Amino acid sequence: MTLHDCAPGVRVRLGRLRLPGPDRLRLSGLGFLPGHEVLVIGRGAAGGLVVALGDARYAVDADTARGIRVTAVVDSHV
Amino acid sequence: MSRACAAAGRGSACRRDGAVPVVALVGAPNVGKSTLFNALTGARGRVGNWPGTTVHVARGTWRPDGGAPVELLDLPGTRSLVPHSPDEALTRSLLLAPDGAERPDLVVVTADAANLAGSLCLIAEVLGTGVPCAVALTMTDVAAARGTTVDAGALAALLGVPVVPVLPRRRRGLAGLGDAVGRALADGGTLPQDLPDVPAYAPDGDDDGEAGIARAEARYAWAHEVLAQVRTRQGAFRPTLSDRADRVLTSGRFGGPLFLAVMWLVFTATTTVAKPLQDGLAALFAGPVAGGAAAALGAVHAPAWLSGLVVDGLIAGVGQLLSFVPLMVVMFVLMAVLEDSGYMARAAFVVDRLMRWLGLPGRAFLPVVVGFGCNVPALSAVRVLGDRRQRMLVGMIIPYVSCSARLTVYVLLASIFFGSAAGTVVFALYVLSVLLVIGVGMLLRRTLFRELRGEALVLELPPYRLPAVRVVGAQTWQRLVAFLRTAGGVVVAAVTAVWLCSAVPLGAAPGTEFGAAPAGHSVLGAASRAVAPAFSPAGFGDWHAAAALGTGFVAKEAVVSTLAQTYGADDAGRPRELGAELRATFDRASGGHPLPAVLAFLVFVLAYTPCMTTIAAQWQEIGPRMTLTATGLQLAVAWLLSVAVFRIGSLWW
Repeated sequence: MTLHDCAPGVRVRLGRLRLPGPDRLRLSGLGFLPGHEVLVIGRGAAGGLVVALGDARYAVDADTARGIRVTAVVDSHV
Repeated sequence: MSRACAAAGRGSACRRDGAVPVVALVGAPNVGKSTLFNALTGARGRVGNWPGTTVHVARGTWRPDGGAPVELLDLPGTRSLVPHSPDEALTRSLLLAPDGAERPDLVVVTADAANLAGSLCLIAEVLGTGVPCAVALTMTDVAAARGTTVDAGALAALLGVPVVPVLPRRRRGLAGLGDAVGRALADGGTLPQDLPDVPAYAPDGDDDGEAGIARAEARYAWAHEVLAQVRTRQGAFRPTLSDRADRVLTSGRFGGPLFLAVMWLVFTATTTVAKPLQDGLAALFAGPVAGGAAAALGAVHAPAWLSGLVVDGLIAGVGQLLSFVPLMVVMFVLMAVLEDSGYMARAAFVVDRLMRWLGLPGRAFLPVVVGFGCNVPALSAVRVLGDRRQRMLVGMIIPYVSCSARLTVYVLLASIFFGSAAGTVVFALYVLSVLLVIGVGMLLRRTLFRELRGEALVLELPPYRLPAVRVVGAQTWQRLVAFLRTAGGVVVAAVTAVWLCSAVPLGAAPGTEFGAAPAGHSVLGAASRAVAPAFSPAGFGDWHAAAALGTGFVAKEAVVSTLAQTYGADDAGRPRELGAELRATFDRASGGHPLPAVLAFLVFVLAYTPCMTTIAAQWQEIGPRMTLTATGLQLAVAWLLSVAVFRIGSLWW
């Protein structure tokens, strides 16, 4: 499952980033790291997502969201 | 001696004995760094390019504890010393300057209490550079609204550097920060005894690949350990008001229409609101100011050349420059409001896909939209782009966006030559303008900007908030002053130069006085005759047209007035009928194909340099080399297109 498949309100744990090297590095620097949790806040017009990562909110475009592997979290905190 | 000074090879008073210490503000975008800078310097900072770069850095004077002044730098927003843009690279290069010459004496990191993990990673990196450091803990009000509190004392103890909570928008905590910074500077810089054991950055700049990601993981692991000791939360995570707003305002259904509505407001404000003020200021200078000066000079029997220089050169130039001020103020206020409210980031997200399709970054929407009103504030709006190369790319294509000054030329010529089809011609020119923006953008991306790849959009969304009047006012003032400082000399000099060319007689009847020669018998007329053959392939190789294009280089508003001026009066002293003269001129110059020749002329007006003020604004935003490249490219594109239009058009008409 990728982040792009997630509906608003779903909480997931991040897995590997299948993105080009520079993008992977940039996202890692922002805290998009394996094991960290995100909550999907909303979905935009072109399939992009607004997510909560820790206390920060990020808009992620659809192609990037497709490159972020995730697993669902049942009961945890963000 | 502090470790920092020892590491940098400085004395106990750090570098530049007797010189004013330099304190740099470093922090992520949208955490109140620039607001803090304005609060500390009393908004008297000066924004300018860092020497040798086009990276904007604000400098100001601050008296940290009411005593000796320091020079305060507002470095570009950065989340990490692993740079992803030239702006971010500047911060890294200053903090890691090998000889220490450019290193600040102290860095104040603005840390976001509402998103502390990311800020802690930056603090770890700054500590790793060996430059003394203090932390200004911002956004504590936003954190409190989310039920989060950060123990500044515990954080200071863990980091080993001063941590001072501040709310720069409300001017709270500034004295405490000043005391801490004053003490740290007096001690020769504060550095923790035990630096956090965090791999901060690769000293050789090799931060790519798995090693860079492993370092990021280690930084966040350390940050979360610190968070566990300094942060307390009440209640479970719950979506904030901003989250609920974003579900609607960035959604597929409402995001687009809201974006269009906001852009309509921006466009309306920069055209209909600012335009009357712009026209009023221009009329004030052309009328009472110029008239008064002419009368005063006449009263003291000033020579004609002096009167002309002052009235038609200097006053006209200053008038043209100042007539842009209302436009720029409206533009800068709107930019500051959009940024400070948090909507700018949402708008970039909403239109990201569309702009990518055009080959441009998402945030380029603002300069492009504004450009249809006036290219000058549009060029200043390229600052919303975080990356310097993206700013250059957008800064080079903005002049192809057809501004309202060009509309006056379109309307005049189209109504003379195309009658009821004039509207269609004007509309076609706007379509061509959009095609040129896309086409030249693609050309530049495949040539000068090949390294600009379509990168992932991961955009931090700051919480929505009411824009603060003080923040908006300070940003507007700084940007306006920077614009006037750069553009002032260029515009006044260019207007004066054009006046001089039209005033110096050349080939006129013997005894013709300076400033009294008809347009055809001045340096301008002679130069236009010399240049005119270059336009023959486009069907308008006539000196009247060339003179209009020449003064149009200074301002498009001058094209129509120059055309009228070059035809002058007939033998009986009556003004000639402009339409008839133009029809005769284009008919003659085009060899019997006036319509394609006029179309070619209009296309040239659309594509070549919009005005001297645009060049001055470009100069400020993208630097001299790229400005000259862009100007050359515009002239080449304009000439090639107009020749093509005439050659193809004359096959039918």
